[in-house]
Amino acid sequence: MTRDDRVEDRDDGVGDRDDRVEDGEETSGAVSDGAADTGGDSRGPATRRADPATTSGAGGARVGTTESDELPVTAAAAASGTDRLRAYWERLTVVERATAALIAGFAGLLTVATIVGLLTPARLLFLVSLAGIYVLLSMSLNVQWGYTGLINFSVAAFFGVGAYTAGLLASGSSPITGGEGVLAVPILGLPLAAVAGGLLAVAIGVPTLSLRDDYLAIATLGLAEVVRIFVKNQSGITRGSRGLLGMPPLIPGVPQSVLDAGLAVTLVVGVWLFLRRIHHAPWGRVQRVIRTDEDLASALGKNVFRLRMESFVVGGMIAALAGVLFVHLNDSLFPSSLQPILTFYVWVAVILGGAGSDRGAIVGGITVVTIVQFTRTLSGIVPVDAGAVRLISVGTLIVLVMALRQDGVLPPQRELVWPGAWQDE
Amino acid sequence: MTAFGQYLVNGLVFSSIVVLGSTGLSVIYDIAGFANFAHGDTMTVGAYAAFAVVGVVGLGGPTVAGLPATVFLAVAVGAATAAVVAVITHRLLYEWMETDAIGLLITSIGVAFVYRGLVRGVFGETFRSYGVEQSGPIPVISRSLGVAVTERGLVMVVGAVLLIVGLHVLLQYTTLGRKMRAMADNPGLARASGIRTERITLATWVIGAGLAGTAGVFLGLFNQLTPRMGFSLLLLVFAAVILGGIGSAYGAMLGGLLIGLVEQLPPVLRSVGVPVDDEYSAALVFLVMVVVLLVRPRGIAGEVSA
Repeated sequence: MTRDDRVEDRDDGVGDRDDRVEDGEETSGAVSDGAADTGGDSRGPATRRADPATTSGAGGARVGTTESDELPVTAAAAASGTDRLRAYWERLTVVERATAALIAGFAGLLTVATIVGLLTPARLLFLVSLAGIYVLLSMSLNVQWGYTGLINFSVAAFFGVGAYTAGLLASGSSPITGGEGVLAVPILGLPLAAVAGGLLAVAIGVPTLSLRDDYLAIATLGLAEVVRIFVKNQSGITRGSRGLLGMPPLIPGVPQSVLDAGLAVTLVVGVWLFLRRIHHAPWGRVQRVIRTDEDLASALGKNVFRLRMESFVVGGMIAALAGVLFVHLNDSLFPSSLQPILTFYVWVAVILGGAGSDRGAIVGGITVVTIVQFTRTLSGIVPVDAGAVRLISVGTLIVLVMALRQDGVLPPQRELVWPGAWQDE
Repeated sequence: MTAFGQYLVNGLVFSSIVVLGSTGLSVIYDIAGFANFAHGDTMTVGAYAAFAVVGVVGLGGPTVAGLPATVFLAVAVGAATAAVVAVITHRLLYEWMETDAIGLLITSIGVAFVYRGLVRGVFGETFRSYGVEQSGPIPVISRSLGVAVTERGLVMVVGAVLLIVGLHVLLQYTTLGRKMRAMADNPGLARASGIRTERITLATWVIGAGLAGTAGVFLGLFNQLTPRMGFSLLLLVFAAVILGGIGSAYGAMLGGLLIGLVEQLPPVLRSVGVPVDDEYSAALVFLVMVVVLLVRPRGIAGEVSA
């Protein structure tokens, strides 16, 4: 491919973004501002805030109905909690409302199923933990792919390294500690695994991050396989396919299932807040510029390789945290958990939710867990091959999303805008 | 020397599978314009179509080149089925999708899942085999060269060489080949010159997927059949394409040859004192790929279009 072709491709990408802007316009002025922000990122929030008249004017002119008029910031601030909730609801697009309703309905269904007895409370907590793991993985990939545009196909390797770090340090069957966990406080596995995930990200990133998109995809997938093959065959270190068995309780005295679910929810909320912060910060804005136009970012004097590496490391650390949750949840760990299929499940979650959108990652992660668990349950009731049903349903889902709604269910809208920027109108 | 010759033979037999896969993938990459992650599962489709043929026709009857004649029929049916499936997929999906190369790449992952799920649903997850009897090495070659070459190994290598030469002739000396090269070079200009690019794209899918189907049947002859066989090989095939340089069919042939040889390298390394387990053969391939990419970020023949 010649260089000119590449430029053309980039233009196409920008064009897609413009489409996205139009899609969002049915909602509100704030939305179209938000989408425009993706393209013209050089304009910081400070500029925007200093010039609110232009912003609101543009938004209002482009869209017929602006709820922003009904919601002056003073009223919103003075209003009670329910009013603010209603105001928030008013701002949502149709799809956002439908998604929120679906999630609420699904949560209600699970609750009812638990009360009726179709689902044991332990099972419910297990599902919550598993969903938390997938949500963390989706948010991790969202940093790399959604923010920066890195095609990372080594999610499973980061996940696995996190899981094995925690597992090997704390498990009773760990070969390297001689049958006794060295971590007196197993919760310390979390930061240590994050460090391991970050180191792996550097190791994978150094040779690959300057490669072009498709080269990067395949190189990362290959290196993830190297990690899996290593884990599988170095049985002197990892026990190989016999697996690690038996993890100590994270906090003695608390029921394990409650603890796992609690930890999963805590981590999801913590990572969410952290990502929200860095995504709104200058760092996040530069990442979005790199995704849209890498040459522009270098022309602005940004060290693109370094910034891509930072994004890769942040994502790798989050994926490693998910691995720690996984090993504690299952009380065991086998190399088969590092199969590339996990990477593709996480990709489905991110694509479905909408690249670049953290709440999309949450919705996508929950959906994928639901499909995987549902097919497993289904095979217990109807004599079908659960694996085949799962593959076909996940595959069809990818194809449908890509064919019908490429930006995912919840593409980034207002969340790309500095919160004050659109409330100050 | 004999040990090295034997390694070369084993490497070449495996290379013939990888080369067929990588060349087909590279041609599709060039014309359709994206990394087709469903290519591996297209191989699986071909392999299982051949399995169905063997199941229906049986392995009795005359033998050709030491293999039952059914095997050759099975190869043809496998290649044709893979081509038909790929063309249907192209017509149903890729043709009208308005997205960039990455979007198509992600779509093809979904397509790969559907193929694999269907194969698994129909044939189950258990290992299968064509049931062609293992024959010993060909006596003439063993006596004269001192290396063991099985009949099926020879058939695979010769088959791959014939197909690759055929592709070379097609690309260089036929109108279709010239149109394909023109389109790979500059699709817009090709269309403006009056080339019916849509037909060329269809022909490319037939060629690429046909090669993949053949590779799938060969892989089934080499190993056993499982729904994951194609995807497992896909990474090696991609490594071959990358190694050769995306956009170069000849690079992909060379890459496939190298990857096949590297994959069979561990026994040789062990014989010279480097302890590498056979399990690490795939890891070795990926490491070689990354090292090559460090030196040449666009592959060995990168930037040179086919």
